[in-house]
Amino acid sequence: MAHPSQLGFQDAASPVMEELLHFHDHALMIVLLISTLVLYIIVAMVSTKLTNKYILDSQEIEIVWTVLPAVILILIALPSLRILYLMDEINDPHLTIKAMGHQWYWSYEYTDYEDLGFDSYMVPTQDLVPGQFRLLETDHRMVVPVESPIRVLVSAEDVLHSWAVPSLGVKMDAVPGRLNQTAFIASRPGVFYGQCSEICGANHSFMPIVVEAVPLEHFEKWSTMMLEDA
Amino acid sequence: MLSTVSRQLKSHPALVPLFIFIGGGTVMSGAYLLRLAMGPHVSWNRNGNPEPWNKTEPTHQHKFYKVNMDYSKLKKEGPDF
Repeated sequence: MAHPSQLGFQDAASPVMEELLHFHDHALMIVLLISTLVLYIIVAMVSTKLTNKYILDSQEIEIVWTVLPAVILILIALPSLRILYLMDEINDPHLTIKAMGHQWYWSYEYTDYEDLGFDSYMVPTQDLVPGQFRLLETDHRMVVPVESPIRVLVSAEDVLHSWAVPSLGVKMDAVPGRLNQTAFIASRPGVFYGQCSEICGANHSFMPIVVEAVPLEHFEKWSTMMLEDA
Repeated sequence: MLSTVSRQLKSHPALVPLFIFIGGGTVMSGAYLLRLAMGPHVSWNRNGNPEPWNKTEPTHQHKFYKVNMDYSKLKKEGPDF
């Protein structure tokens, strides 16, 4: 989850998010190199005592500063497109979960085998137990088996919402009347937090998402327990 | 006109990369348009082949580029009409 004064991304919990992190490092390095070069040139131009009034053009430097930016852009575009197509691939999911956005909570439906459904409300601040995170905890978490491809079908029952979990590299708009599909694989067991990412009314900031990745046996025990409780 | 352009290019060789990249971009856009036209997205013959997108194989690669996907393993999931 996010921590105070954080500057970068949260640690990746899925292979796609790892790819995104590496691509971000790649693009940011290019940007920093270019910015450093430009800053250096600005300072050098401003602080020199040399003056030369007789250069009017130069074909060589024009070739360089046409070809080099084009090559840099291609070097950014190719990994970017690769990740884009990778994120869109159908990856034979083991489990399909429906995440429905309401004002102002999420509800999750696991209907592959039995009819399991539950709502997930934020834990109010005054009800927090020491160790829990303010505005991020929910009463019921979306439990998934670790290292399994999961398909999430996202929709909304009233207004626009958006289902986002940054550490899994997932964000998908919840549009009423429309079914959006996204998928992820949780590479490691853990608890991953996210928040609703589309303005949806008064409590838009207070409908978080918590995904808990557990080993398969624990997932089976949890779903049996949830079905019995319902 | 080509002789005028090539004569002017000899005295301004810095314009050659410009031609390369703009030309490359035009060629790539044209090639993608051609790929769309030849694929199952367009119906050229309203009477003979009205909806070619309904006749694709389950193993047809719809995306332009595949990273990890093995299309030969996909099977048809719906019923035949």
